[in-house]
Amino acid sequence: MSEPRELPQRIVVFGDGPLGVLAAVALRRALPRTEVVVIAIPPDPAAFAERFGTALPFTNRFHDRLGIEEEDLVRQAGASHRLVTRYFGGNGPAWQRAAGYGAAIDPAMKTAFAREWGGGPRNAETGAPPRSLGEVLAAAGRFAPPSGEADSPLAEVDYALRWNVPAYRAHLIGIAETLGVQHERRAVLSVVPDSDGGIAALAIDGGGELAADLFIDCSGSGAMLLSKMPGARWVDWGGQIPSRAVLMGLSGEGILALEDRATWTPLGWRWELGGRDGRLAVLALAGEADGAAMRAALGAEPSALVPFAPGRAEAPWLGNVVALGDAAAQLEPLGGIAQDLAHRQLALLLELLPGRTVDPAERAEFNRRASMMADRACDWLAAHYAAPVAVARFPGLVCSAELDRTLDQFGRRGRVPFSEDAPMLVQEFGALLQALGRPQGEGPLALAGDGSDEHLARAFEARAAAAVNAAPPYGEWMRQTMAG
Amino acid sequence: MSERPSPLRVVVLGGGTAGWMSACALAKLLGPLVTVTLVESEDIGIVGVGEATLPHIRGFVERLGIDEAAFMQATHATYKLGIDFQDFGRIGESYVHPFGTFGEEVAGVPFHHYWLELQRLGLAEPIGHYSLAVTAALAGKFRPPTTDGTLNSTYGYAYQFDATLFGPFLREHGKTLGVDRIEGKVVEVRQDPESGDVTALELESGQEIAGDLFVDCSGFRSLLLGTTLGEEWEDWSGWLPCDRAAALPCSHVSEEITPFTAAIAMPAGWRWRIPLQHRMGNGYVFASQFLSEDEACAAIVGAVDGKPLADPRVLRFRAGRRKASWQKNVIAVGLSSGFLEPLESTSIYLSQMAITYLIELFPIGGPIDPRDRDEFNRLVDMEYDRVRDFLILHFHATTRDDSEFWNHVRTMAVPDTLAEKMALWREAGRVEKYSDGLFYDASWIAVYLGQGVWPERHDARVRLPDPEQVARAMAALRNAIVAEVGAMPGHREFLTANERRLAMQS
Repeated sequence: MSEPRELPQRIVVFGDGPLGVLAAVALRRALPRTEVVVIAIPPDPAAFAERFGTALPFTNRFHDRLGIEEEDLVRQAGASHRLVTRYFGGNGPAWQRAAGYGAAIDPAMKTAFAREWGGGPRNAETGAPPRSLGEVLAAAGRFAPPSGEADSPLAEVDYALRWNVPAYRAHLIGIAETLGVQHERRAVLSVVPDSDGGIAALAIDGGGELAADLFIDCSGSGAMLLSKMPGARWVDWGGQIPSRAVLMGLSGEGILALEDRATWTPLGWRWELGGRDGRLAVLALAGEADGAAMRAALGAEPSALVPFAPGRAEAPWLGNVVALGDAAAQLEPLGGIAQDLAHRQLALLLELLPGRTVDPAERAEFNRRASMMADRACDWLAAHYAAPVAVARFPGLVCSAELDRTLDQFGRRGRVPFSEDAPMLVQEFGALLQALGRPQGEGPLALAGDGSDEHLARAFEARAAAAVNAAPPYGEWMRQTMAG
Repeated sequence: MSERPSPLRVVVLGGGTAGWMSACALAKLLGPLVTVTLVESEDIGIVGVGEATLPHIRGFVERLGIDEAAFMQATHATYKLGIDFQDFGRIGESYVHPFGTFGEEVAGVPFHHYWLELQRLGLAEPIGHYSLAVTAALAGKFRPPTTDGTLNSTYGYAYQFDATLFGPFLREHGKTLGVDRIEGKVVEVRQDPESGDVTALELESGQEIAGDLFVDCSGFRSLLLGTTLGEEWEDWSGWLPCDRAAALPCSHVSEEITPFTAAIAMPAGWRWRIPLQHRMGNGYVFASQFLSEDEACAAIVGAVDGKPLADPRVLRFRAGRRKASWQKNVIAVGLSSGFLEPLESTSIYLSQMAITYLIELFPIGGPIDPRDRDEFNRLVDMEYDRVRDFLILHFHATTRDDSEFWNHVRTMAVPDTLAEKMALWREAGRVEKYSDGLFYDASWIAVYLGQGVWPERHDARVRLPDPEQVARAMAALRNAIVAEVGAMPGHREFLTANERRLAMQS
């Protein structure tokens, strides 16, 4: 007969940045009888998974589950919607193309669109027609989040959210306080190990020991708890990702945009996040560069240069310590991928939530899946360095077997193989590769063409017109929401 | 507009289920890219024991442009909601593995954890009572599911049909798709002396069928992949020792037709009972190292309920697969690629799966890229291996010690991949997640619990809600299921409501 496990009595979250507070909210919601203590630590400038206010569509659904309302984020945390990221320069200076979200367009259809709508050679330099509803809406400047009715013309539009990080954190803290999460502001002096290769307690400055059943390491790139565990090892992604530093700068006034931009510069990818509170430019650098060149590539006055080493923990859960965010994997934050990964790993922890004691098989399952998630996120990022211009700039990068297969299959056949626990749908990955200017082959089904291309194109046109019709100008929606 | 390459000449060898499925799908979906020739011989029988299917078959039939009613009429098909397993974990115990789910996740915790807790407290009914598919199946009811996200959308369905009629039905359909059928026996396989690629099949008549790509659907003989190319066989008989089946069709004995297949454990294997429109398919799948063919035939004759319509027919096979299913320019589909006993009705699925991947990775413009071949083999192997582990579980998860067969499968070492899954279940009540391939959480849970593999512990979060309240919620679910099932028509009633589905009684 199966017995229920004992509920954990106390969980300590090490780190009170947005990720630590979110983890505390998630854990306290899941385990309302468990004491959840968040420990304050100085913010880590290289905590890329939380210091940039954006993620991917998964986070919207995760927020929903945790009772974090999108409308509140819009009202209180400066949130706005990103329907597409437009990539510039992936296949030469004049190249641009947008990549959106969702599965609304399947790869076979996309090739048909490219043929029917593209009207010209594949490397057409500008003016590629829209291929997703998100792109149509972004171009029209119209959008309102779908209200949940299945037959709404906007129902199939998926999107990512951006927000103001301090306001987001303050909002989460408000929720955490309501839930009774405790905040420990005194410093941790040392780690008291237990007899099972885990942690028994943390010694607090002037406060004795803080014992817990489970410790969540949200300390950022230093992995301050995980790194102290016996057997902690780091898997280096340096061969796949050339970046070794992130340069950032806030420029100009806020903007209300449905589109973000990623631009290839002589130094690497620059990514611009169009927030309502300002435009953040982020440049991933392979190494030191001349100050003027960096400023030019960033397109803004630099405010910080943060070195980092791309990689992941070999096992993010050791003993009773679970690392999340940059403590588990360090990725440049391009397009929200780092935060997305952190949130998906937190969701995985909720799925495999232990009792008072940790079960080794469960921990192994977490590590298996969390590592797959991280590796696929790395692939997504590495794909950016497989853009034709990037390959020329950074020759000799290696690809994982999975990414290699994806690039090959996409290039010859327009096919994106499915990978377990990938951050992106295969359709989204295909859209990214297109936007990066990777060559795209045609699959046999598209080549065989059953005469439905024209029909599909017309159907898309009709859906796009209906979506534009149904959506208000985004600015108008925002004003109404803020006023309401 | 891209240039369309000149059509590739595809030769399908074998006119059984796999052969005609392959030929029809290639001709229908790749149209102008291929010419399809199918070589079959009236003298060579087909195996055709795959009488039960999985829900995937519906998409296949639909994609080929076949009308469901016409298909059901031609193959004497009935509807199927799952499989009833009897005597596997312990003699006298049974459970239904449904095409559907059990209850719903609550607060991020899967249903079965709450169920385990109520079970412990003596407040739960059998887990199948919380599955619409199981309840409808056992009540002999059927109605197609909805897609509206309600209780009525929590199940799927497949068919039970006469596999010997499916091939011929597809043959007629294939003709309309432009498949060229050639009658004849292959006497020689010609190969390119340099590459080793198959270039042509020489028939008894002297006719030579040349091709660019050969789909080997020659059944267990695996004439092209196995015999000609000598592709190695990976033997799984250590884990799946059944290597014979004694098949015996019978008349129906009851008025109602069960909307499920039965798999009943026997001393040296198990037997199937598959209700078709006008007869009952039966067969004893057994391990010849523990039981002789004569004994098995006698056992199946003694076990069936209806009147036998023929003498038992013995089929021989072995569990395993070729190391690679695509070698040079030969792709094996069906039994020539691998074999897993029909315990979970996977035979036709495995053919369909291979055909789907072949189409996805079909050589464009002629030459085969080795990377596409590797990708095909990777995917096909993954599917076979996952099904294999799931089947092994059915035998290994038992307390039976009443025969040598059950002693063997109970005590054997299982593949590591399965041992890890079972450890995770035993220790924490969790199911290893994957979303590619077949058989997800609900299937594993059905077999684990149905065969008495209980976890030691379940999720701590079930302690949070008041058990009485959970019990009331579960009772409400049960009541809703009973009400829905009560409103469903009987299986026979639904089946016969549309006479276009019905075969003429012969």
